[in-house]
Amino acid sequence: MSQRTERRGIHVDQSDLLCKKGCGYYGNAAWQGLCSKCWREEYQRVRQKQIQDDWALAEKLQREEEAAYASSHGAQAQSHSQTAVPQLHPGHASLGAFSKFEEKKTNEKTRKVTTVKKFFSPSSRTPPKKDTQEGRTPSPSISRHASFETDQVSKEFVEFLKNLQKPGREIHKQCRAFIMNMSSKKELSADELSECVQDFYQNMADRLMSHFKGSSESVERVMDQVEKYIMTRLYKSVFCPESTDDERKDLATQKRIRALHWVTIQMLCVSMDEEIPEVSEDVVKAITDIIEMDSKRVPRDKLGCITRCSKHIFSAIRITRNEPASADDFLPALIYIVLKANPPRLQSNIQYITRFCNPSRLMTGEDGYYFTNLCCAVAFIEKLDAQSLNLSPEEFQRYMSGQASPRLHSSEGDWPQSGVTAANPVLAQLNHNLERLSLVSSRQQMLMEAAQSMQADLLSWPEGVQREVSGVLEKYPLQILPRTVSAMDANNADSDGPPPLLTAQVFAG
Amino acid sequence: MGEQLPSVPGRAQLHSDTLNRPVQTLRVKMVLLGSSGVGKSSLALRFVKNEFRSTSPTIGCAYLTRVVHLSNVSLRFEIWDTAGQEKFHSVTPLYYRGAHAVLLVYDISKRKTFVRAQLWLRELEKHYIPGSTVIWLVGNKEDLAQNRQVSVQEGERLASDRGLFFMETSALSGDQISELLLAVAHRVYECLGTQQGGLSEWEEYPFIDLHHRDTSNPFSSCCKVGP
Repeated sequence: MSQRTERRGIHVDQSDLLCKKGCGYYGNAAWQGLCSKCWREEYQRVRQKQIQDDWALAEKLQREEEAAYASSHGAQAQSHSQTAVPQLHPGHASLGAFSKFEEKKTNEKTRKVTTVKKFFSPSSRTPPKKDTQEGRTPSPSISRHASFETDQVSKEFVEFLKNLQKPGREIHKQCRAFIMNMSSKKELSADELSECVQDFYQNMADRLMSHFKGSSESVERVMDQVEKYIMTRLYKSVFCPESTDDERKDLATQKRIRALHWVTIQMLCVSMDEEIPEVSEDVVKAITDIIEMDSKRVPRDKLGCITRCSKHIFSAIRITRNEPASADDFLPALIYIVLKANPPRLQSNIQYITRFCNPSRLMTGEDGYYFTNLCCAVAFIEKLDAQSLNLSPEEFQRYMSGQASPRLHSSEGDWPQSGVTAANPVLAQLNHNLERLSLVSSRQQMLMEAAQSMQADLLSWPEGVQREVSGVLEKYPLQILPRTVSAMDANNADSDGPPPLLTAQVFAG
Repeated sequence: MGEQLPSVPGRAQLHSDTLNRPVQTLRVKMVLLGSSGVGKSSLALRFVKNEFRSTSPTIGCAYLTRVVHLSNVSLRFEIWDTAGQEKFHSVTPLYYRGAHAVLLVYDISKRKTFVRAQLWLRELEKHYIPGSTVIWLVGNKEDLAQNRQVSVQEGERLASDRGLFFMETSALSGDQISELLLAVAHRVYECLGTQQGGLSEWEEYPFIDLHHRDTSNPFSSCCKVGP
């Protein structure tokens, strides 16, 4: 609050405000001193170039990777492909295929190219691409879904305002007018948009305050509804607007987190023991919550996701340590969760919440506390260096470049199986699953063998039967006997018909 | 700073009952700064529950609240614990944005923590606007006086040089804890309570459950307050 008034108080010379390209429009510091139009052109150009560069690099890496792979592992790959279909080669071949598969995996891991390649693979670039498309020309299904959501919210809002009677109608009118007004201000920068919304909140709150005669409780309630309604409507146009570099920051953060995939829970000194089932469950829930944030539209709902995520982290620490978690434990754990989750559009979401949430909620209150922690976590991840993980700069460099991985103690591929299993629960599970798979496949083979022998049996059975039948036929040729049947009938002739009836007998006496 | 309001009578004390709660409750954001291990969380727990290690099922003590009743107003302290590890030093300014009170905690038995507190103070002075934040230098672990490495005079001198308030406490024994909280409450109210936009009012119902709030408070019906 006080900051805002300060910002307004600053006086700047008129000429400093103009666009640096000299087009005569006003420029903006957030656009490096350009006006919105020039900035958009500049931004598009840079972005296009960046995308092309990335593609070229990705393709180059892909080619190198393939070449390297073909030369050093050609023979192996061939044998692998031969044994890849176990059904065709009954026997122990399928087990062989699995061990080969593991071997191949190991090789890939030691060669390290994969990690680098991953960052440039097309899949990493498709989501943001889709986003921009969504921003400009939303696909029909998305817009339909969105409009359903907004309709729902509008309905709820009207329902809510009905309780307020006359002032309710006034609020509704104002909100609608404001949304209309905002939709005509597409040229404004994100900060200006934020200021508009914040001013609107402020005015609305002031008016409500005088209306409710100082009952801030009622004001809050109405303001929450107003925020929900307005932000659901405005979400599309003000979330990650093109005028800002939010998207670029999103990508940078995403890339950064991917590059830090090797950071372990021990390096961050997090006191969570994922071996405990409840803890790992909480970790999964926390990750789900933080990822879910992106799907919410109202700043408050986004905050709610952060709070829920934080609660799960607290619970995980509490279970591990058996005492309430302090901030010393919490922040590293949150950083770990963010690294593990790599939440989509993290920077955009943070910016969006900062710009359009009620400011008092961000500075104070429980939600504000967790949000601040998230901001700290992101800031820390951006600045993270060797020292903050207690590593030597060389080690850090090697991990970052993918030349080594902290999970493997030697950089060669000959680590003992048990060591890996101990180091990484996921690998342990993988091995376990592989064992099970090989068991299943050996059973399947047995089944196949049995089926085949049964098939052979079935094929030979009619022959056998036929042979037998013809043998019997030969042994006992068909002969027609004289009417033995009628003779039998003749023998039984006297027993024909029902037995005689019992007749009543009268005894004298 | 303090001229808006005469000093609040010293007879006010901490209550834990909310029966005779005054009408107005103001929100105070209080941030705990200090190296890890100086007892920030223990202090926070003491403020809230008056016990050293919590046995109740609180899952965390990073964000805690405590209402302090003064004679004519209630202050709802929102206590923000911060991560004290050195590696997080660069991100801590985010925490004390908009704070009304900052407790700069050090361990009297570890000189290093006192030196670090001064580093923090330098950082803090870059960001804070005079008159908007009350800073308190707190020497914790007073119970370890036999291993004392930082004398009371040193603490007092630093505080008076930099315009801070000073107190030594023990989260272990609970010594001086409620006195500290009360002193902070008075000072915050004196400095900020009557300023325009200094402290915002706190309402009973929100900030707990975002999703089921409609049923949360029977008093928050808005139809009652029509024109």
